[in-house]
Amino acid sequence: MPAEIKDWAGVLKDPDLKNKYVEAVRNNDGEVGAFLSFDADDPQGRDIPEGRLSGIPVAVKDNIAVRGRPLTCGSRILADLTAPYTATAVGRLEAEGARVVGKTNLDEFGMGSSNENSALQATVNPWNHDRVPGGSSGGSAAAVASGSVPLALGSDTGGSVRQPASFCGVYGLKPTYGVISRYGLTAYASSLDVVGCISSDIGLLESAFHAMAARDERDQSSVDLQPAGESGKRVMMLRVEDGVLDPEVALSYESAAESLRALGYAVEQADLPSLNLVVPAYYTIATAEASANLARYNGIRYGHAPAFSENPVELMRQARHEGFGDEVKLRILLGTYVLRSGFQDQYYGRAQKIRTLIRKELAGVFRQHDFILMPTFPTQAFGRGDAGMDDYRQRLADVFTCLSNLTGTPALAVPTAPAAGLPTGVQLLAPAFAEDRLFGIAREIAGDFPVMLPEGALDIRSLS
Amino acid sequence: MAHDEWSITAELARLELDEAEARRLAAEAERMKELFSTMSEADVDGLEPTTHTLVRENRVRNDNPEPFNNTEDLLEAAPEAEDKFFLIPNVL
Repeated sequence: MPAEIKDWAGVLKDPDLKNKYVEAVRNNDGEVGAFLSFDADDPQGRDIPEGRLSGIPVAVKDNIAVRGRPLTCGSRILADLTAPYTATAVGRLEAEGARVVGKTNLDEFGMGSSNENSALQATVNPWNHDRVPGGSSGGSAAAVASGSVPLALGSDTGGSVRQPASFCGVYGLKPTYGVISRYGLTAYASSLDVVGCISSDIGLLESAFHAMAARDERDQSSVDLQPAGESGKRVMMLRVEDGVLDPEVALSYESAAESLRALGYAVEQADLPSLNLVVPAYYTIATAEASANLARYNGIRYGHAPAFSENPVELMRQARHEGFGDEVKLRILLGTYVLRSGFQDQYYGRAQKIRTLIRKELAGVFRQHDFILMPTFPTQAFGRGDAGMDDYRQRLADVFTCLSNLTGTPALAVPTAPAAGLPTGVQLLAPAFAEDRLFGIAREIAGDFPVMLPEGALDIRSLS
Repeated sequence: MAHDEWSITAELARLELDEAEARRLAAEAERMKELFSTMSEADVDGLEPTTHTLVRENRVRNDNPEPFNNTEDLLEAAPEAEDKFFLIPNVL
């Protein structure tokens, strides 16, 4: 069993223990490579206040701003940037006593499912170093799974919190759109982006979520958490065609349904007729918004600039040429294309209407069910490099996760029993604002599927 | 033809692509475009577009000035700055 929250609370407050902790993380993370930067001292030198997260060390994905710490987004273009301010989500955790100890690796600007699109560092899966940790919040998931922190922040635009959480065997929450402020989160696709969290402890995940959830004047799309209504025990289980899921994932999916039935849930299989439209609509919208959001990286106000350029246009072109990696360039290119005059109705406009279609379909499901049970990803953590999954197939495999980004509803990746030496997991979806419902069902199912950390993970209890 | 299409798009996005990169990205972009084209099968007649899922109205706040005392850090992040200005190459 992973360490409990009370085991973590003293680690930054006792100087002796803190030193041991810092050394242990440095050793522990050497091969995993979850952290792009690690420093247990607060850059602002503040005391730790009392609160429901007092003294808890937190890792933060390196596309979320923490004042005085690097903010690289896993990109060469921001490799030397230090954040001049702190994201609201981080500020709210700090107000409850949590302390950021490091920034974690990610696919460049959140674009990818493996962490292999990071321009700065390789991160491996703590369960098997030949496998990827998932992405794009792969560093955050690996930091939690390797025991370096009990809690980490990520961001989820199309599955970037849930898929790596599932690959690493921990919980990953993608909250309702807007419930956690995006102020200080580097924008990728603004209508889909959410700040999410990853933890080995469902209670800590819940406390962190409630500490962060509130409207923020600095994010005009943010909303207060609203009452979600009573929950029953009706679960729609998405019917998945044979052969779509790897055998271990298919077995895990069945085992989760069995566990729910044994707990008294009515599990009913059904289809989502528009599921085949989810990936094309998602990538149309995501790339369109990305092309607009990433226009700001031009080598002028911050970030990488070429050694020499003749004029401002050349400056921009060179800064972007040298600063961005392939996947980012591809998505900017696609997004620019679908927004070009003459093509907008055909692509971006149509994708937004499909988004309405999918929302209606999901709303229909939630009139008759309290939850949807779905796979998170068709495979377990895949191999690194050429042994892995090609980029196109990775994008198609986002189908189960990007659905709830399109609909704005919350989803929780929940671990099931490891198989063949790697974690497996499933995903539970609920209507907007029903995060508490997800924490509740996850607690129940945890009786059958307790969270496990891999062999060799840091055990904080061994330090005191 | 396809290659030209993506070259024009790259120009609009201020992306400079070398030959090999342009070929690689154009091929991958074509593949994604084909995937996007499958959306034409959907019946979306009469549906309103969704721009944001839960944002019901545009929200504004009072336009009150707030002092920001961290301007030095911002200028420090610039690739090139002089006094209180960002430097760029000559426009003309």
